[in-house]
Amino acid sequence: MAYSEKVIEHFENPGNVGTLDKNDPNVGTGLVGAPACGDVMRLQLKISDEGVIQDAKFKTFGCGSAIASSSLVTEWVKGKSMEDAMKITNKEIAQELSLPPVKIHCSVLAEDAIKAAIEDFRAKRAARRAPEAAATEAAKEA
Amino acid sequence: MTHFDLFSLAPSVDLDVAALEAQHRKLAMESHPDRVADPHARRLAAERSAALNDAIKVLKDPVRRAFYVLELKGVKLDSDQAAAKVKMPMDFLEEIMEQREQLEAVKARRNLEEAHAMAAKMHALRDETLARARDALRKDDVPTATTALGRVRYYTRFLEEVDAFEEELAS
Repeated sequence: MAYSEKVIEHFENPGNVGTLDKNDPNVGTGLVGAPACGDVMRLQLKISDEGVIQDAKFKTFGCGSAIASSSLVTEWVKGKSMEDAMKITNKEIAQELSLPPVKIHCSVLAEDAIKAAIEDFRAKRAARRAPEAAATEAAKEA
Repeated sequence: MTHFDLFSLAPSVDLDVAALEAQHRKLAMESHPDRVADPHARRLAAERSAALNDAIKVLKDPVRRAFYVLELKGVKLDSDQAAAKVKMPMDFLEEIMEQREQLEAVKARRNLEEAHAMAAKMHALRDETLARARDALRKDDVPTATTALGRVRYYTRFLEEVDAFEEELAS
């Protein structure tokens, strides 16, 4: 099966490969995998306190389509708000890369990775705010 | 018609591979297209030969056979069907990610010995997990078999990567 030109472009020249510090409170990490193919994909987003995605990195072990899908979404999400990034669908990814039907699950994986990374960031932020809120409550009571 | 049907066998993860191969040789001989002159019969014989070859490839390999038995139980793991979309546990994905990154570093150092050592461990893990999957399939426990074979898929990918690295070094 031949890969589309865009897949080859991303595969040969993937942008944004790497890691962000997963302990940084502003970094959300999404780790996803599909047993259908044995691919594993890690997507990390650095999100400002205002909820804007400032940076994105990925690491994918999988086929060319999985690598291209993750490379593409890291380009797309930069500068977007979390809400807008959540709206990216696998259909858009598959369309942009002209993925054949058997490779649609690669684009699904990339969509899931964005959502997982944002959810991770939100959970971290909520955990961070919880003690703060508790402290405010305690101050009020005192 | 299933691969098992071609050999008049009931679907099972347990097979006598030597007996199966002997049976395959016999059946392949009988349906060899060169044995018939009639064009129609010849085409049928060619189709049967091809089906027999596909079947033996799947059935003689314990890993592929397990995936196939699972497929006959309704879960085609390498597909987009809903039943195949099992979520792999997070700690497992983390472990795989770490191992793959480590292998990547080993490859960058072009250290085949280390790659082999990693592969040996993965091999043991794969065998252990395959045994668990086979056991689940014997008990008709499809969910357990699905997750276990999902893991097997990841271990297999890792081993393929080591094989590819070895070939790359040899060429």
